[in-house]
This record gives sequence, structure tokens and C-alpha cells, in this order.
Amino acid sequence: MFDREAFVARRSPDWQELTLLLASDAPLAELSASRISRAASLYRAVCGDLMRARQTGSSADIVAYLDALTARAHNALYGSRRYALRGALRALLHGFPCAFRKHWRFMLVSALLFVVPLLVGWFGALHSPSFPASVLPLKTLEGLSQAYSEGFANGRSEQTDAAMTGFYVDNNVGIAFRCFATGILFGLGSAYYTLYNGLFVGTVFGFVQRAGHGRNLFTFVCGHSPFELTAIVIAGGAGLCMGAALISTEGYTRLGSLRRRASDLALLALGAAAMLFIAALIEAFWSPSSLPEPVKFGFSALAWLSVFGFLLFAGRPPKPRTVP
Amino acid sequence: MTGPRVFTKRATLALRALDTTVEIETPEHVVFSCSLAGPARRALAYLIDLLVRGAIVAAIGVALSMASLGNAEMSGWKMGAFLILMFVLEWGYFVACESFMNGRSLGKRALGLRVVTQNGLPVSFGGSVLRNLLRAADFLPTGYAIGLLTMTFDPRFRRLGDWAADTMVIFEERPRLRDPIRLDPPPLPAELDQFPQRLDLPGPVLEALELFLRRAPELQTLREDELATMLASIYGERLQVRYKSASRFLGLLYARAVGEKSRVR
Repeated sequence: MFDREAFVARRSPDWQELTLLLASDAPLAELSASRISRAASLYRAVCGDLMRARQTGSSADIVAYLDALTARAHNALYGSRRYALRGALRALLHGFPCAFRKHWRFMLVSALLFVVPLLVGWFGALHSPSFPASVLPLKTLEGLSQAYSEGFANGRSEQTDAAMTGFYVDNNVGIAFRCFATGILFGLGSAYYTLYNGLFVGTVFGFVQRAGHGRNLFTFVCGHSPFELTAIVIAGGAGLCMGAALISTEGYTRLGSLRRRASDLALLALGAAAMLFIAALIEAFWSPSSLPEPVKFGFSALAWLSVFGFLLFAGRPPKPRTVP
Repeated sequence: MTGPRVFTKRATLALRALDTTVEIETPEHVVFSCSLAGPARRALAYLIDLLVRGAIVAAIGVALSMASLGNAEMSGWKMGAFLILMFVLEWGYFVACESFMNGRSLGKRALGLRVVTQNGLPVSFGGSVLRNLLRAADFLPTGYAIGLLTMTFDPRFRRLGDWAADTMVIFEERPRLRDPIRLDPPPLPAELDQFPQRLDLPGPVLEALELFLRRAPELQTLREDELATMLASIYGERLQVRYKSASRFLGLLYARAVGEKSRVR
């Protein structure tokens, strides 16, 4: 047993000082050096107090108080990493393409899962009048076709614009993230959503083209599709990668195996999200504009090239100089 | 870049059975415990975040539509901006909040929740991205059904996103130090002298006494007596002390046990 009152009276100034140092939720790293070291030594002292209080079976409220204080100080001291924008940029420009290449097998599978159904849907809708209805409700398709029946000579009308972009963003962004997230269901969700999304996009393309508005459609989508379609494939691939980590654990526990891949998965997801963001920007401001066709198609070609160039070459370490 | 990481979490992180707390061992070998946040509290926090996001969207939507009344030319541009905003809010809100507010969104902050790693450290940016993008999986088939299901089966209430990102949501209590217990009326020397000089009560007993004495004023007399008798009858017999009120007896026992030490010091 010990004397509660004397203990509290002697130690509580330190506890209060530490509480004050932790008061702001700002990372501890932003404080001055002297305050950080003061916080560190106070934290160690409080650790001792907690052990002592618990050992002596002293009052429950003191133990609870010290417990919470220790937890907060531990959180602040051991994790005080500043969230730098530079770090996020580096992850995007360097880590993301590296992770993409590291897991290229999953990306390839995902691309096949996306592109093959896309082609099937496209040709099916082009050549068979009854095919599209088996993929999508006819009403949706006709609405889409209607939306593309007008050209872009005068820019898009407000109503169509809202309907179209709303539809696209909801569908493609939502589905891209779903492609990734459902990978946690042992990859099955990713496979399903990637495949379905490919079929969906292909069928829409084929249906609209068959209705004779193909030109309008392609001038519209050519600008953002390099980013959007690639992002869907990457999201699907990352989902497959996550599923594979859960299935083939290589001697780790399932969770351990998942955690081993977690940083790569986060990079891929972050990259896909950034690409979707770029796609949304283009879709909102560039695609509906009344720019002439060649400009739009030229931009699209450039975008495809830069997307592939980025994914394949960015973030590679510089070649070691060869000695002749 | 890095070799295979060794996961020693099982060794350092012991789970207490049937409790909603998790124990974390610090590098100083001090163990502290955190309360885990359950589905109800987290759902409430989510609701608040949903309202916050809804309010932002509504405010900006109204502002944009009011501004476009006079100028129809700008509507396409505005629609685009609105769209981007929706996109950013839906997928970036939680990541931004958790990254800049150390694991707390506004809703979590209101309910005293915080996202931390399994080691009790702040969630990293990557972890936040993972756990929040996986909402898409937790949400399926609708209304976070899968997330709720996995939380039910997980001892730490983790949803799929938490599993992947290696995080958990804790409830941060801010317990206060309470005033020491004072008996009313104060113990008389004659009363205390019935007890032996050295009274070495084990820690858990002392803790139980304290919990009881703090609660006693809120209890009804009969219930107070009933509870007090449980412990008083044991110690009354052991110490050969007779008492009229069991509650008073426990109060004196506590005062003697605590007071004795202070005199020695």
C-alpha cells in the first residue's frame, strides 16, 4: 500500500505539465527541441508512476488517469511524424510506378480482365441488337445514346452535362474503388467488378456507336479515358494483389501476409485515386469543351503516351555507370 | 528495398479475454490499456461526418447555383467544379482528416474516438488511405453490412479496412483524478483503535473498498448495506471487530489501511 495523497501531491505537477505539452493535437515534432526532450523525460517518469500505481494496487482512478496519459504521450512521442506534402508527392511520382512494375503480373491479369470483356461488349453491341439489353437496362442505354446525339460544337448543354458527368463519376470512380476494395474478399470482388466494368464500358461504346453517335462519344471520352481506364485496371490489379496476399501467405499468417503488402497496396490505391482525380478534372473541364476534334484526339494520344511512359519508366533508379 | 519484416505483435500485444480493452506494451516495457470503440459509437461518428460532408456539399452547391443565376455561360464550369468537390469530399475527407488531425475525423473527435495502429501509434498516411478506400468493401452489399459483420467477429472491432491497414479505433477517455475519499462523519480515534495497527490489505481489496465508498452515496440504504456486508462480514470476523453499520465499517477499514501508511512515512 502507499500513500495516495502524498503520491498525487508529489507527482501531479509533472502530470499536469505533460498534459499541457500534449494538449494540442499537433504532432510533437513541431514543438521546440527543448520541449520535446522535456516531454520525453516526463513521459518516462509517468511510465514509472503508472507501474508503481498499478503495482501498489492504488486507487483505480489514479491508474486510469495515468493509463490514459501514458497512452496519449506514447502516441505523440513515438509517432510524431510530420505529414509532408513532399512525402505524398514522392509516393505518387516514385513509389506508385515502382509498385506498379513490382506487381506487373496482377496488372496484366487485371488488364486482361478489363479489356477482353470490353471488346466482347463492344463487338457484341455493335453486331447484335439484342446483346446490350442483356448487360444493361435498355433505358439507361438509350439515355446515354441520347446524351451523345448532340455534338460538342457549342459545348454541352447544361442539363446533359450534369446528367452525364454525374453518371460517369458515380459509376467509374465508385466502381474503380470498388474494384480495389473488394479484393479483400480473396480477390473475387476485384475480378468480378473489373470484368463487369469492362463489359459495361464496351457495351456502352458499342451501343452508342451502333446508334450512330460514335464520333461524339469518342471525342468526349478520348481525353479522360487514358487516365480513367488505366486507373480502373490498376485498382483492379491492386485488388487482385490484395486477394493473392490473403490466399498465398508464404508462411505468414493471413493478416501478416496482407500487412506485408499493405504499403504497396496503399501506393497503388493512392496512385489510382490520383489518376481518377486527373480524369475527373479533364472530364469536367476539357472533355465537354467545344475544341476541334483533332486537338482532342491529339491530346488523348499524348495522354496515353505519358501515362504509359510514367508507369513504365518513372521512379527507376539511375543506371549504374558501366566501366568500359 | 527492405527485407522481410518480422511481426512480433502477438508477442507484445496480449488480449484480455472478454473485454473491450486492448493492452499495449511500450518500448519502456510499460503496459497500458486502451478502450476499443464499438460499432454504435463509430456509427454515430460516421453519421456526424456524413452530416458535415452533406452540409459542405449543400453550402457550396447553393453558392454555385446562386452565382450562376445571372450568367448561364459559366454553368458548365461550375458543374465541373462541383463534381470535383464531390469526388474529393467522398474519397478524401477521411484521409485528410485522419492525416492532419492525428487519426480523428470531425465525427470521431466529437465522440472521443481515434484511429491508431495496433501498437497504439498514430495512423500513417498510407494506412489512412487503405482503411478509407476499403470502405467500399466494408459498405457492401449496403449500409456497411460486411464491415459490421467483421467487427462483430473481431476481438478488436476491426472492419476490413482496419485489417488491411493494421489499425483499430480506440475510445479515448480523459479520466480525472478524483478527490481522496473522506468519511462523513470523520473517523474517531476510538473507532480506528478497534483495528490493528498494521493492516495489510491486498491491492484488489483496497480497490474494491474504494470503488464501493465512492459509489455508496448514490446507493439506496438497503442496497448499500447488502453490498457492504459481503466484504464487511469477512473482515469483521478476521479482525474480530464488531460493527453496527457495514458501510461505516468498510469506511473505517479503508481509512485505517490508507492512514496507517501515511503515519509511517
